[in-house]
Amino acid sequence: MNTLITILFLIFAALILTSAIMTVTVKNIVHAALWLISSFFGVGALYLLMEAEFLGVAQVLIYVGAVSILILFAIMLTRDLEGSQNRQLTPRWWIALIVPAALFGLLIVPTVMTHDWRLPPPPPAGQPPAISGAQQIGTAFMREYFLPFEVAAILLTVAMIGAIVVAFEERERRRRVLTLAERVRLRQRQQQRQQPAPRPEPAATAVQTSEATGGET
Amino acid sequence: MTDILRSWIGSALPDWLIVLIAYLLVTTIVLFYAVGNFIMMVWAERRVVARMQDRLGPNRVGPAGLLQPIADAVKMFTKEDIVPRNADRWVHLLAPIVALAPVAMMLAVIPWGRGWEPIDLNVALLYMVAVSAVSGVGLMMAGWGSNNKFALLGAMRAVAQLVSYEIPAVTALLTVVILAGGMSLLDLPYMQAGVPIMGATILCGDPAGCSPLLYSTITSFPGSPSEPVQALDLGLGWWVFTPVGLLGFLVFFIAALAEGERTPFDIPEADSEIVAGYMTEYSGMKFATFYIAQYILNFALSALAATAFLGGWQGPGVAALANMGGPWVHVAAALSAFYLLAKIWILFFVMIWLRGAFPRLRVDQLMDFAWKLLLPLALVNIMSASLVVGLTQWTSAQWGGLVNLDGFAPWQRQLIAVLVTAVINIAATYWILSINQRPKQVEWDEEELVVAP
Repeated sequence: MNTLITILFLIFAALILTSAIMTVTVKNIVHAALWLISSFFGVGALYLLMEAEFLGVAQVLIYVGAVSILILFAIMLTRDLEGSQNRQLTPRWWIALIVPAALFGLLIVPTVMTHDWRLPPPPPAGQPPAISGAQQIGTAFMREYFLPFEVAAILLTVAMIGAIVVAFEERERRRRVLTLAERVRLRQRQQQRQQPAPRPEPAATAVQTSEATGGET
Repeated sequence: MTDILRSWIGSALPDWLIVLIAYLLVTTIVLFYAVGNFIMMVWAERRVVARMQDRLGPNRVGPAGLLQPIADAVKMFTKEDIVPRNADRWVHLLAPIVALAPVAMMLAVIPWGRGWEPIDLNVALLYMVAVSAVSGVGLMMAGWGSNNKFALLGAMRAVAQLVSYEIPAVTALLTVVILAGGMSLLDLPYMQAGVPIMGATILCGDPAGCSPLLYSTITSFPGSPSEPVQALDLGLGWWVFTPVGLLGFLVFFIAALAEGERTPFDIPEADSEIVAGYMTEYSGMKFATFYIAQYILNFALSALAATAFLGGWQGPGVAALANMGGPWVHVAAALSAFYLLAKIWILFFVMIWLRGAFPRLRVDQLMDFAWKLLLPLALVNIMSASLVVGLTQWTSAQWGGLVNLDGFAPWQRQLIAVLVTAVINIAATYWILSINQRPKQVEWDEEELVVAP
């Protein structure tokens, strides 16, 4: 069984690495997003391999189901489809490679040197492992990590309110798009009104502000 | 399945091969079950909608047109597969697969009958939601890969709808998680044993005098202590009969309609506006794959709604047959599978009915409906569900002395919980509906009318 798990781990690791490399090297930005999704899937599979079902499913739900769809949305809404063949690598890509590698090394080397790698003993048979269950995670959120959890919640709420403030269009200032029937009726009324006293300049049919009509009537 | 195979050919083959064969067999059975249902669903939808619209529907191929789906399938197989010249070939090819695979994966965790459970996953509810969200990626790929403006528009609409209606759906499912105290789908039908409204709270006073046909041993139900009890069990303690379950079911079913792109919410493929949405550039088997994915998604969502709120395979007679032991257990399993299938088909019939009855919503109406009506209702329902759990299960020490229900019998506590949540849910529903009343039609004064450029 252990060899099987090792083989599966190697397959998933290869999948994650290949997808990640493709994500940063492929030219088409939508393809890059799709490769990113495949990488997310690999990470979810790794969680499942560790019997952390809740984390694995949450990974798929949040990263594949929400984050990457938002990424795809953003790409498709902001770029025109023809202009998506951009170069991903700049001429100075090697600097960009060295800096994160150095930062990562700074992070990982002390951990590897000092961390106590003794694994915890496996739980007794018939008992769920310590962190995988949703119940344990929920209890931990509500007890030990209550403050970080709430702070994250407030942060998300603030971000959402900010997004609404940025995107909200006030009702008074919103231009109402007329239906065809309304437009026809509007034109008819204008013509009726203009018949008794025809104005010399061409009537403002397309756009008229309330001030202009207010002065006229 | 694994055990059966082990007992048959256990000596001849290594154990891992037997496990593999068992899984393959179960997968094949479940997939064939779903596809068989898909074929019948297509036929039923066409016939029923035709009946509602005073037409005949397909009635030439086979008796009452029953073989029409097979003729359709042959047509789909033999059609030319057309890929637009400027389409992204690989994305275009992979999109139907990415749309269908997650939907098929949803079928793995549903308990199809008493003891007929493909996989026991302890986060099954979350898994269903997560996996169904993945098919949105497939729709996006189809819309973008086709290199067609209609397809892209359809994909945008589909994914926006999928993402926003997931929130009421998940919030409605949270009620079930709170009531059940876990996310496993397998326990849900067992927890919905008993009688309507009261659930399995009417206990047997005298163990000798209770007929095993009416009473069965319940090991776990909401509000029960952990030790097994003898309770009156007609297999009808479905959560939909309680106020919390009813509201949750309505919210979830409406959200499921939107996720499955059924008619009041079929904006993504509105034929009169954007040809066929993300499927515009697909033909032949690829188109059929999308079609199958859509119907199987509806099938799976109906199964989820039935399992979560309508008792799943639970029904009158199942527990009694299972109590008789021996070969009757298998009869009980078959009867329970029939009950689940009947519930799924009734829900699907309601979907067809809605299709025959309602026009399509506009996009802004769609979003208003999700965010201003369904989500507040679902949130109120979560509070009610927590109250139910508190009123039926908590001791006075857990309430902090605030509420003391320790002296009451289980059925009294259940009755109190039902009454309290009924008041809360009805009041909240009335209030939210009155807020959402359509404002009086403003007669647009001509001076306010500004024609968009």
